[in-house]
Amino acid sequence: MKRYDLVIVGAGPAGLSAAIEAAKNGLNVVVYDENSKPGGQLFKQIHKFFGSKEHKAKIRGFKIGEELLEEADKLGVEVVLNAIVLGLHPEKELTIKVEEEVIHVKGDTVIIATGAAENMVTFRGWTLPGVIGAGAAQTMMNLNKVRPGDKVLMLGTGNVGLVVSYQLLQAGCEVVALVDAAPRVGGYGVHAAKVARTGVPFYLSHTIIEAEGKDHVTGVVIGEVDANWNIIPGSEKHFDVDTICMAVGLSPMSQLLKSAGCKIVEDPKKGGVVPEIDELGQTSIPGVYAAGDVSGIEEASSAMIEGRIAGAAASEYLGYITKEELEEKIKVNESALDALRQGMFAPKNRGKLLEKTEEGVDISMNLLKKGYLLEEEVEKYPGVTKQKGVHPVIECTQNIPCNPCQDSCPKGCIMVGKNITSLPVVDTEKQCIGCGMCVASCSGQSIFLVDEEFEEGYASITMPYEFLPLPKVGDKGVALDRSGAKVCEAEVVDVRKAPVFDHTNLLTIKVPVEMSMKARFFKN
Amino acid sequence: MDESRRILEHPILGVTEEKRIVHFQYDGKDMTGYEGEPIASALRAAGVMVHRHTKKRDEPRGIFCAIGRCTDCVMIVDGKPNIRTCITPLKEGMQIQTQYGVTAKTN
Repeated sequence: MKRYDLVIVGAGPAGLSAAIEAAKNGLNVVVYDENSKPGGQLFKQIHKFFGSKEHKAKIRGFKIGEELLEEADKLGVEVVLNAIVLGLHPEKELTIKVEEEVIHVKGDTVIIATGAAENMVTFRGWTLPGVIGAGAAQTMMNLNKVRPGDKVLMLGTGNVGLVVSYQLLQAGCEVVALVDAAPRVGGYGVHAAKVARTGVPFYLSHTIIEAEGKDHVTGVVIGEVDANWNIIPGSEKHFDVDTICMAVGLSPMSQLLKSAGCKIVEDPKKGGVVPEIDELGQTSIPGVYAAGDVSGIEEASSAMIEGRIAGAAASEYLGYITKEELEEKIKVNESALDALRQGMFAPKNRGKLLEKTEEGVDISMNLLKKGYLLEEEVEKYPGVTKQKGVHPVIECTQNIPCNPCQDSCPKGCIMVGKNITSLPVVDTEKQCIGCGMCVASCSGQSIFLVDEEFEEGYASITMPYEFLPLPKVGDKGVALDRSGAKVCEAEVVDVRKAPVFDHTNLLTIKVPVEMSMKARFFKN
Repeated sequence: MDESRRILEHPILGVTEEKRIVHFQYDGKDMTGYEGEPIASALRAAGVMVHRHTKKRDEPRGIFCAIGRCTDCVMIVDGKPNIRTCITPLKEGMQIQTQYGVTAKTN
């Protein structure tokens, strides 16, 4: 039987990060993954990540995947694909089906990083072809380059539902509505806002009653739910769609750990059945660790840090690094992890309705109910100022762990400060030069440049634009407000593309000056 | 090949690289797709939604998870039933059939 210092199950962000950390410390590492390609779900993530520099913020997910693979490869990590781990035994022996063969391997330590599976909800017609998971939509459009459908309804307004809706729009699909039975948008407000301003309506406190169609989906009926989750009669709404996408949460895939005899707990805050682990990720079996979504649903950024911690812990367990070295590594990683677990969407705040930001500003209830900010709400936030000439307007209104805007400004106009969940503050003493670096750096696409003195009676608005076809200078069209409603005519006066913007193009439009705080999107 | 459902250029991912076109048969009909793409992907691009019918109630099923987990998209590929089309690469000359229960339609 082949023996390794460390056997890792799952080549996603947690597994690869663990492998890299352990291989750096000198361990002989193998990673098994059931898929034909490594990277887990990272290669479907085409949006820019949140966080700070050490969390790889503003880098798109698939790029992070490429970086991890390259690093693992350089360090000589063995990644075995098409390998289904059938069993994990308490003595750290694994039974694995590789292609058509079953093999046995022994790990002196084992890290389980199997990730999570998508949840689903049932309704009449839910088994019809055309009802798909949000992950399936991502796989089809971002990996296989096939549009999952022409007209799509999204169920679920968590970050997955919001991000995938935006990606559907980028792929050229029409998203007819975002629906959620909860009374409030579950994901980041900035993700909701970038979908809402393109004109996609949000239906909170609504659920799907029925998917229509004989052989495949041809329509969908939704209805409003009351406080007891019952449909309110007469509230039904119909949409012609060919695709219904479900983004209703994830569940940890902890079966292997359970079968090995690890202590398992049910924790709704972690997304379901998870192994009991200590601060190193170690389960109740010494030398067996869990990292990433399998130990509690979070973001890929957290999974990578948990992977590094578990990789370091396995290294210390086998004597490759000292206890002091481990403690040093833990300290760095724990503080990075802690930073990600703060703010309005922190695990400790799940299910709570916060009314004020950390700064004491009212949280926009309209953003939570409809997906967009009202004009009168926007002006209360510290990133929104009135200035002469071109200046940034930062519509970032919830405390989320993210700060790339701060480093992006060469003139120091933007301040987030030490606490990365703080709302960005625009310093009116500093002179904005209109370079647009902040607009492109914002993973939430919530920064605009506004110049109310662009021309006599006209303001210019520069916005992030990630769609095709890219409008051209001179194009005439309409400006949409934050809700996606047409507000005025607009003309494209500048289009900027640069490698440093990483595919977030800067589109500048000219609108009547009274529209400067209303117009936030452009349509030809 | 019908390319109306394919994303030829993407705002983030750029121009889709050209792959070798292969021919396959779906329920006896000649079709084309890209070599190595999942069978399910080629079928969706060709507008095929129904991959199989359930045994007891003859209900249609198609792609659901697209990552080989749910087994809703299984079909008969080169005579072999229960092939997860979402993770099985398309090859030249493949014979793909709608699955009824666990077999092909006999009549």
